[in-house]
Amino acid sequence: MSSSSVLEEIRRAEEFLVVGKGVRRIDALDKVTGRARFTGDFVLKDALHVRLVKSPIPHGRIIEIDAERALSLGPVRFFTAADIPGENQVGYALPDQPLLPADKVRYVGEPVALVAAPDEDLAEKAAELVEVRYEELPAVFDPLEAMERSDVLVHEDRGTNIAEMTRVRKGNVERGFEESDVVVENTYRTGHQEHAPLETEGAVAIPDTQGGVTVIASIQYPHLCQRITARVLGLPHSMVRVVQPYVGGGFGGKDDMGPVVSAMAALVAFKTGKPAVLVYSRRDSFTSTCKRDPSVVRYKTGATRDGRLKAIEVQIILDSGAYANRGPYVLWRATMHAGGPYEVPNAKVDGFLVYTNKVFEGSFRGFGNPQVQFAAESQLDELAERLGMDPLEIRLKNLLRPGSRTITDQLLESSVGIYEAVKLLGEKTGFRAKWREYRRERAGRVRRGIGIACGYHGISTSRGVPDWSNATVILGRDGSVTVETGICEIGQGSWTAHAQIAAEVLGVPVERVKVVGGTSDAPDTGATHASRGSSIGGIGVYVAARRLRERLADAAARLLECDPSDVEIREGRAFRRDNPDDYVEWEELVQAAYGMGYEMSATGYFFLPKGKFDMERGLGYAYPAFSYIANVAEVEVDLETGKVRVVRVWPALAAGRILNPVLVEGQIEGAIAQGMGYALTEELKFEDGRILNPNFTDYLIPTSLDVPEVEEPIYVEDLYEYGPFGAKGVGEMALIPTPAAIMNAVKNATGVRITEIPATPEKVYFALRRAGVVAGE
Amino acid sequence: MRAGGGGIVVRFTLNGREVEVTTRPNATLLDLLRNELKILSVRRGCETGECGMCTVLVDGLPVRSCLMLAPQVDGRSVTTVEGVGDPERLHPVQEAFVEAGAVQCGFCTPAMVLTAKALLDRDPNPDERTVKEAILGVLCRCTGYAKIVRAVRLAAERVAGGVRE
Repeated sequence: MSSSSVLEEIRRAEEFLVVGKGVRRIDALDKVTGRARFTGDFVLKDALHVRLVKSPIPHGRIIEIDAERALSLGPVRFFTAADIPGENQVGYALPDQPLLPADKVRYVGEPVALVAAPDEDLAEKAAELVEVRYEELPAVFDPLEAMERSDVLVHEDRGTNIAEMTRVRKGNVERGFEESDVVVENTYRTGHQEHAPLETEGAVAIPDTQGGVTVIASIQYPHLCQRITARVLGLPHSMVRVVQPYVGGGFGGKDDMGPVVSAMAALVAFKTGKPAVLVYSRRDSFTSTCKRDPSVVRYKTGATRDGRLKAIEVQIILDSGAYANRGPYVLWRATMHAGGPYEVPNAKVDGFLVYTNKVFEGSFRGFGNPQVQFAAESQLDELAERLGMDPLEIRLKNLLRPGSRTITDQLLESSVGIYEAVKLLGEKTGFRAKWREYRRERAGRVRRGIGIACGYHGISTSRGVPDWSNATVILGRDGSVTVETGICEIGQGSWTAHAQIAAEVLGVPVERVKVVGGTSDAPDTGATHASRGSSIGGIGVYVAARRLRERLADAAARLLECDPSDVEIREGRAFRRDNPDDYVEWEELVQAAYGMGYEMSATGYFFLPKGKFDMERGLGYAYPAFSYIANVAEVEVDLETGKVRVVRVWPALAAGRILNPVLVEGQIEGAIAQGMGYALTEELKFEDGRILNPNFTDYLIPTSLDVPEVEEPIYVEDLYEYGPFGAKGVGEMALIPTPAAIMNAVKNATGVRITEIPATPEKVYFALRRAGVVAGE
Repeated sequence: MRAGGGGIVVRFTLNGREVEVTTRPNATLLDLLRNELKILSVRRGCETGECGMCTVLVDGLPVRSCLMLAPQVDGRSVTTVEGVGDPERLHPVQEAFVEAGAVQCGFCTPAMVLTAKALLDRDPNPDERTVKEAILGVLCRCTGYAKIVRAVRLAAERVAGGVRE
């Protein structure tokens, strides 16, 4: 089956029975009845409880670790770097991160040792009694300072605190700025963001009888956990089995932390021969897991009088904290998305990933993109202001369309629905009229404003890095359908989307499909990240189900005495297209096919076709497709308190086929809330590298009273050639433009541009005061 | 309630059944329910009363079980989501959560269902603001609360036959 014929078939199809419908989640009953089990629920008899011994200093050499007092408490076990049988390395992009450091610590909260005991209180007490002696080293916290310094190095062997540099060189920016009538230049700053999944990170490891280990953990990629755990234990991959139970939220963090907690719990289980339970406390979850990279983005934009973008020059500095982790990939993504979803003929982008002595950063919904879109989309409004245009007009002039080229010079032949989405959004919201009205009014203590921002997000891995999908579909002799996938269910609903795809292709009701996912027993399907769970993950299900469908059509043709091409299978029946009364029931068909010797299981491996990328110039094939988003936000700004309230958000999404509108709305509503928290309230406060607010009283994630009304989304179904039924990714999308949409609305309300998020009330208040909008003392 | 043998005996009603259990005097209700009675729908999210994941109903009112000592429920009635409904007989709130798509990762769902039930038991006709205020103490990081609020109002509509605008 060639992929183009698949596309043709999808385009021809006028209606689907299951795809595109708000099918009920397959895990809903487990979850509303409380029967769903999460990692911390698997406490086996004789299990050891594991606790972290954490560094209290930001930078220092480990001189001695003394566990004598801890061990004297009772049946306590204790583990350091010296106990690791395999390789003490969990670095993702670079080999710079030990599971437990042997020589020095690089951030406050870094786990230095593990303590395990049969009782939680005992483990807790023992962890407190472990004495670690350090020789303190000077530390560096500010990325701009760290870049320049070589006397304080977070990683001495690297000789610099710059972990990675990226670049894009398209056209000639000098000429582009010369040809510009208006040039706008600003510096934007974004802060850390903590994922705050309500289920904290955790893993349970159970030794098996063959010298290996089974890990039940809160994860986003079972095969990565398997590889890292096997490396740490010095075992072949096959000796480590990883299974996800239900996962209480991920947002990227558990992609990075899953392997770490898996390896820690597995180390204890492997060394003691007993089950080991490690569940991070909320404090651990704040102090010792990765965050969204803070950024400094210097952004210069040039445009002609009629509003056409001519050039951008961008410098992106990401603070990576103590380890590189995913940082190089985060930085590449930020770099390649720096232009926003617009045609920019000349672009010069430089990215720097910088080590500091703070908690390390990593994957978080949007993956570097929210930081640069905040800058890019704020710039566009500033440009419009200088040109006397409105924000909608300048966007419509420059948005990508089919046939456009991105700033990496990638040609976008099809599946580019952002122009239509923004046009519809402008009409639906009455944007222009409101924008003018609020701008004119600007009176009273509480000011209202409206703002728009767009975003785009490359689906799959960056820069032509190989990506694939896979799944196994198995038909039981009773007609039941099992889908096996490595894709994890972390709340987004991918398993329901997988069941829909299998049901649609096979012609059975969704209820017949069971999804077994998030396990290393299934084919490696890649990670549940980059908005690829249902989109890329779904391709494997589609391909495998197609293979079975062809076999079933063959078998049915023999039973119905017709040609396979005349067989229709739907709603659990196979029949002749010309005579629906001549049918076989699904169960009967599957049994007959078994009897005729058809293989009733199939895998659906699919290798995504990609192009070439030139790393030197940062040009070429960046992603197989992009999803697009635009949000309009309406806000109220209280001038006396500086508090910004987001009243309403209207989203518009161009992400190909919407497989399940209820799931997609859920992703959009959740992402807007998380993006609003990022933009307004979620602020990690540091003092000498120590987090001052590692709790929900002082780190404010949105509550039910904080979130805006989210209007029904506009969907532009710009089908993607290789996506299942033409679907692209959704999960990250609505977060990406949310901070800029809010700050553009604040500008509309007050006339003041906020360039730093989170825009907490005091930041907004003082910005208003500096601008003279409110009177000072 | 009586002390003895290093533990303290607590008698209470759990999901309609009388239970008698010996526990440490300083055990939280959360510890008692999860560790000793294996009621795993009561979830540990922060243990400092900030996130609401461990919410249960004590005499019909939502309580954070991490902030209550186990002996304090002596003689009282505790309801967890297991006592609200099961797959064969869902409570209208559970039904509405399923239908409205109010469930994502599911970690906060038992706490949300219990809180919503407690609200509807005392106010069968809550407006949107009232629903939002009622669930304020239970955090959710997935849904943005929109479909949860909708689900609670849907349940109210079904039970009481209408909601105020």
